[in-house]
Amino acid sequence: MSTPSERRLQKELMSMLKEPPTGMEVDTAVMEHNDLHTWHVRLTGAAGTLYEGENFKLQFKFSPKYPFDSPEVTFTGDNIPLHPHVYSNGHICLSILTDDWSPALSVQAVCLSIISMLSSSKEKKRPPDDALYVKTCSKNPKKTKWWYHDDTV
Amino acid sequence: MKVKIKGWNTVAVWKWLANDDKCGICRAPFDGCCSDCKVPGDDCPLVWGVCSHCFHMHCIMKWLAAQQNQICPMCRQDWQLKSE
Repeated sequence: MSTPSERRLQKELMSMLKEPPTGMEVDTAVMEHNDLHTWHVRLTGAAGTLYEGENFKLQFKFSPKYPFDSPEVTFTGDNIPLHPHVYSNGHICLSILTDDWSPALSVQAVCLSIISMLSSSKEKKRPPDDALYVKTCSKNPKKTKWWYHDDTV
Repeated sequence: MKVKIKGWNTVAVWKWLANDDKCGICRAPFDGCCSDCKVPGDDCPLVWGVCSHCFHMHCIMKWLAAQQNQICPMCRQDWQLKSE
């Protein structure tokens, strides 16, 4: 018998596989043993942006409290986008992933926000505190006390 | 011809009058129940906020219990139960 979080994840997965949204693709190969609590999603940078044609990989980890609890979302793999809100360890500074999470959001909504965040970037660079943050942060980005101050990118 | 009815079977259908077909929290149809319940109907009712968004009562209660800010998951306005 599946849990409520698994039932919701199953619905999201089916809808993303049936009608794949532009620029995102769920990698079902990593969902071994039908474990719905870890997803990998391949993102493609939007056309006409600094990231056009680049491929990235996002990792989602869901707690049993999902969707009441936000997923843990990080970039993973060998191409971490150079972006002022993305740290070199893959952590992302994005308010909907912590303070502004809502259970009405979804994997698709989060991916769209991240593609949009990349698209509005004007300069490919790391956050100014990247070196210090990466050295001192927790493995789980949800444990970081993020300070959301820059809405422009 | 005279017909004598000995018995009959009736079937009724019901549905919630919601402004959407699915609960934005559990993604289950409103005509079904929330993901913790087994039987739709009065035991798993829908509730409306003043903002007009609608959820399974159990879903919105779980969200509000997990939050300090009592906001609607759809529009982020303060959640206030709409009295019918």
